[in-house]
Amino acid sequence: MQLLTAAAAGFRTQLRHMRGNADWMLSLITTPLLTMVFVSMFLYADRGELISYAVLAPGLMAMWSTALLTAGELISFERENGSLEGLLAAPAPFAAVLYGRIAAVTALSLVGFAEAWLVGSLMAGFPVPVAHPWALAAAVMVTVGAMTCWAAVMSSVFVLARSARIFQNSLSYPFFVLGGVLVPVSLLPVWVEVPARMVFLSWSSDLLRDAITPAPVEQLWLRLLVITALGAAGLALSLLLLDRALQRVKRTGRLTHA
Amino acid sequence: MLSVITAASRVAWADMRALYSPVTWTFGWLGRILAQVIFFALIGLLLEDPDAVVFLFIGQAVMVTVVEVFFTVASTTWEKKAGTLPLILASPAALWAVLFGRSLQWVPSGVATASAALFVLGPALGIGWSIGAAVLAVPVLILVSLSMYAVALTLAAAALRTPGWRNVLGNVGHLGIMLGCGVVVPVTAWPAGVQLLVQAVPLTHGLEVIRALHTSGPSAELLAPVALLLTTGLGWAAVAAAAFSLFASVGRRDGSIAFSE
Repeated sequence: MQLLTAAAAGFRTQLRHMRGNADWMLSLITTPLLTMVFVSMFLYADRGELISYAVLAPGLMAMWSTALLTAGELISFERENGSLEGLLAAPAPFAAVLYGRIAAVTALSLVGFAEAWLVGSLMAGFPVPVAHPWALAAAVMVTVGAMTCWAAVMSSVFVLARSARIFQNSLSYPFFVLGGVLVPVSLLPVWVEVPARMVFLSWSSDLLRDAITPAPVEQLWLRLLVITALGAAGLALSLLLLDRALQRVKRTGRLTHA
Repeated sequence: MLSVITAASRVAWADMRALYSPVTWTFGWLGRILAQVIFFALIGLLLEDPDAVVFLFIGQAVMVTVVEVFFTVASTTWEKKAGTLPLILASPAALWAVLFGRSLQWVPSGVATASAALFVLGPALGIGWSIGAAVLAVPVLILVSLSMYAVALTLAAAALRTPGWRNVLGNVGHLGIMLGCGVVVPVTAWPAGVQLLVQAVPLTHGLEVIRALHTSGPSAELLAPVALLLTTGLGWAAVAAAAFSLFASVGRRDGSIAFSE
């Protein structure tokens, strides 16, 4: 119960932080433009059947970018503000607060999917069809969960980093490639595809694409399970890393100036 | 003015050293940039069109220098955040000269990342260059970076008034440029009004030159787009200097330099 209360407090705090702060909305502001970039490429190449790919990719990219931003900014902001020590000393578990805050941003980033769909439909001149809406909804839900867990892994690493912003800037496109957000990882060489399959995003991207296209979605439950399992692995890893990271900075006294 | 720009550029290098070590720049930043170029080149694979792979690869490889120099929009506002902007304004040096030097670190970094993409990653992916074309492409890349730096400085002057929107301005700016200036689709794919508008952006001409160098090698016909690249770049530098001067004079008058937002 205490965990849930702390997570809910984190969720509410994050929403308050985001109010009137353009940076938190950056991905949602740039999603329509990114959608235009992708859709224009497919329309120019006369490959209208790929527009669904162009509509899903910016949504996933917005979700990953906001998760990354939260994971990094959260630590950086609290550190610069001098409140990171207070948060860690408080009786409420820091991990729960962290999860609540990341979940708020990740949930909000879902708006990116709607934006991308709207822009894609306007550019295509017809509503981009969603063939399997329930499969899409389920895939989005498990993706949000997994995204939150892996953003927490990044946050744990950022506690130890001199500047979280270096990692924030660096972890976007490598994961967009490995996550197959626009180009399925099955088109990549095997030596890239194998590690890419360890990234939950590649499973999410494939499933989301299958959910939007007319062909039946194969092995839906198994794929949902894989995304959930990879998310759970992120949860376990983040808890472990956060515990280790906090113990270390407390021991070395480098919490404020890692 | 040159001595002011040189002095201000020391802050730029200090910022760069504080932000990146050689290791984090190479494996963090350069890796991310190369991943961006690969990401877009892969779209050509999805389109099953080898020409599209080359088009998208070169477009993005040059675009990354723009992405980097557009960090200027944010780094210019750091002076406001640090509280040093009023001191700069109180000094005898012109504000525009200080701010022209203050974010120069992004230019060589942008040229280095774009060069690594074009001349190291490219050949590794089968997109090779003749020695002559590569030797000429580098100075063009430097001109693209410097002239787009001037565009970024103009946006930075706007961001000084609304520092909370610095990242939005920079990102929307570079995405709009990516969309319209021939990076992902040829300029001719857009309506006549857009085609005309993007002629004012130096990247449009620089990219045309670099694509032509890759396809057909050096030729006298490239002198015209190079001249346009230079002219538009100088034009934007003049606009940026005027915008900073306007910011300074308005700020002195209404007292908004240190206290707005």
